[in-house]
Amino acid sequence: MGNFDLLTVKGVTRRDFMKLVAATTAALGLPELFIPQAASALEQALKKPPVIWLEGMDCTGCTESAIATLNPSAAALIIDMLSIRYHETIMAGSGQSCEEAYQAALKEDFVLIVEGACPAKEDRYCMVGGKPFRKTLIEAAQKAQVIIAIGSCASEGAGIPGACATGAVGVAEILRNEGINKPVINLPCCPVKPTTLIGTLVYYLTYHKAPPLDSQNRPVAFYGTLLHDNCPRRGHFESGEFLTDWNDPVQKGYCLMLKGCKGPQTYTDCAQVWWNDNANFCINAGSPCAGCSEKSFYKEFSPLYVKQELFKLPGIGQVNADTVGAVIGGAAAIGLGAHLIATAASGRLSNKDHDHDHKEDM
Amino acid sequence: MAKVVIDPLTRIEGHLRIEVEVENGLVVEAHVIGTMYRGIEAMLRGRDPRDATYVTERVCGVCAGSHGWASSMALDKAFGANVPAGGRIIRNLIIGAMFLHDHPLHFYHLSALDYLDVMAVAQYQGKDPGLLAVKDKIVKLVVAGDTAPLTPRYKPDAFSVNDPELVTMAVAHYLKALEMQAKAKKMSALFAGKQPHQSSIVVGGVTMLPNIEVVEQFRSMLMEQLDFVEKTYLQDVLTFGTGPLLPLAQAGVGGGALNYMSYGGFARDNENKDLFFKAGLIMDGNLGNILPIDENKITEDVQYSWYKASANGKTPYTEDTVPDLDKQGAYTFVKAPRYDAKPIEVGPLARMLVMQPKGLMDIIAKNSIKPGAVARHAARAYETLLLVKDMFTWCDALEKEMGSKDFRVHDTDHWEAPVSGQGAGMTEVPRGSLGHFIKVADHKIENYQMVVPTTWNFSPRDDKGVRGPVEQALIGVPVPDLDNPVNIVRVVRSYDPCLACAIHLIHPVTNDIKKFQIGW
Repeated sequence: MGNFDLLTVKGVTRRDFMKLVAATTAALGLPELFIPQAASALEQALKKPPVIWLEGMDCTGCTESAIATLNPSAAALIIDMLSIRYHETIMAGSGQSCEEAYQAALKEDFVLIVEGACPAKEDRYCMVGGKPFRKTLIEAAQKAQVIIAIGSCASEGAGIPGACATGAVGVAEILRNEGINKPVINLPCCPVKPTTLIGTLVYYLTYHKAPPLDSQNRPVAFYGTLLHDNCPRRGHFESGEFLTDWNDPVQKGYCLMLKGCKGPQTYTDCAQVWWNDNANFCINAGSPCAGCSEKSFYKEFSPLYVKQELFKLPGIGQVNADTVGAVIGGAAAIGLGAHLIATAASGRLSNKDHDHDHKEDM
Repeated sequence: MAKVVIDPLTRIEGHLRIEVEVENGLVVEAHVIGTMYRGIEAMLRGRDPRDATYVTERVCGVCAGSHGWASSMALDKAFGANVPAGGRIIRNLIIGAMFLHDHPLHFYHLSALDYLDVMAVAQYQGKDPGLLAVKDKIVKLVVAGDTAPLTPRYKPDAFSVNDPELVTMAVAHYLKALEMQAKAKKMSALFAGKQPHQSSIVVGGVTMLPNIEVVEQFRSMLMEQLDFVEKTYLQDVLTFGTGPLLPLAQAGVGGGALNYMSYGGFARDNENKDLFFKAGLIMDGNLGNILPIDENKITEDVQYSWYKASANGKTPYTEDTVPDLDKQGAYTFVKAPRYDAKPIEVGPLARMLVMQPKGLMDIIAKNSIKPGAVARHAARAYETLLLVKDMFTWCDALEKEMGSKDFRVHDTDHWEAPVSGQGAGMTEVPRGSLGHFIKVADHKIENYQMVVPTTWNFSPRDDKGVRGPVEQALIGVPVPDLDNPVNIVRVVRSYDPCLACAIHLIHPVTNDIKKFQIGW
């Protein structure tokens, strides 16, 4: 039996399979020429891997986002592509039968997907199946062939729960605390973007290794570019045109920096790959980027609708390179800071800026 | 007496544990237990009030948009903002689309597996090519020995539907509904930026200034949703509810507290008078007497919740929230909201009983359906149809507004936080009545509290020991096989629980309590 026959037996038609491959190569930003190669590699590799999908201190938004995919379809994702053995929101079973399904999957060579943060100190803030979620997470992580943390809560910084008083942290930090030296692929954003998750899964299943990752262990393919550099509103930024009134048709499309946009500190492909089947993304809807793909989200990016910190960061003459580097991602920060300061110093920004902090920062 | 524990109770939002005691095949005691706490309200204190819409939006990713919406309403009041008609309608369209996402998803993906013997698909003998494809898919999964996530499951019981034709159709619609929920989120995202977790709704209105093309794209997708809701979703619910599940429906399994509340929601005017969902309260099952709601009668008890009890007499604006994990006698992170000291059911059944649309009331009367799990599914499907139809008029109203010279979506004059202020945002979201309460001092959030639908429905006992609505609904539920408590999950899921939402808190104000009576 050939490998594709194996897939056919598992309920995947050739047509569905090629659609899946085409859509996912597109999601990965690979040229069409790659499709036959990916198809071939996938046929070799894709045997519907068993998946344990854990939910900790979460809102189910990442699951909801994953099944918001239209191309490939949600059914292709949860039935054709993966064998989802444990997922509290999707699985048929409840209670004891869940525990049995989980224990059975633990014995296989499974992919671990984690959604939600985990309390680092007080286990009682998140109990599932009568057990501390933290212990289940550690147990599954030690046995998984690969660990994928999805959404800001499970990634570095732990997103919104990370700003709360429960001591919530992401998956990698829980493992570090336990001295477990196992890499975690982080796919932050609030919630995870479906193209990012599916693209990462296809890459991993094709090559049996993680895609190239950055310093926060995010795949460079999806987190390698600065939002600000690809923003459709960048031209208005360059022209010093900043939105102050959402009602003004003239300002529609103006730069959202004065509304608190974190685009200059945020590495994400949101400007190129929009959400919900390419329907929209925050900035196109007139909303400032909240920086949800960064570990500084939400704690250090608050307040969200005030622009000040964008200009405090570079602060020529008082810059602490380590701090800047930690916050905005290494070498790129220097270029970014210089750019913003040059723009501000040339007066283009200050013409429309009424924030008092501004001049001090220049 | 035997104890049955279901943990995790799956196919819901969040982490839920159910403990029941069974005697002679019937539930005689029940505890519903929320097992996760994040503490988002406490974290908001001291922050820029405008952050609240963005942060509370993320309380839940299933009823996405709901909390951002209620939060913006609370902030509008605290800021003194007057949301222009354009902003109001766009907010309604964003959330309306999410109802179209939530309700069918709840029926097909979260609930249907409790009623279907999915493996009956293998016996399908018909000729419909679409259904044969479904059969082919399921059979191949079985042959490959890999039927996750459809198995493991509770064993089909006397109420399970096992007619191959019906089951195959339902599985086909399960797959179709997966596509439709993604499309509904896409519709919402057209105005909202993305879904889940929209960013467009802010204090004063929305950030998205739409053009006609976007509205028309929304409208054309709405037509596809109408077709699906009318011809597939509602028909399936009625086919099951008045067919194989009629005995369950007529027995009123999972009836619960016969007190119902709807805050009202989806204003069709700027004065908040013409509401799509009507506001009202029903006590003791008296459908002939729809009472007005007095928000001052909403209180919460914490005797059985893992929180420190603060002084009595505080309002949601002034209370605080401190977890107490070692508290004696407490068993859940969910608090016990009460209205006039009584447990109240909120959600689609409550809304429809307050509204009493003739079509639905006729179906209920004709089939002698009692309030319970099946009635909840029927009410949920029926209100989806009413809503999707009404949404076309919202699109019309938006386009009319867009034609006027001073079309606006945001109250720019009230964007900055006031020195002080307070406000409540009370509305109806897919799972029921949602209230957000904010108090602003020195331009910052002094206090923030949410009272959410699942807190009402999944509350523990109150200070007088009276069970919450779901705890009450579980009493008397038949569990003939202790290893297969499928009726329990049917009842629990019929409320569409959202535990991530529920674990948010207001603090206790103890009123005199009246004896809880059941009657219909």
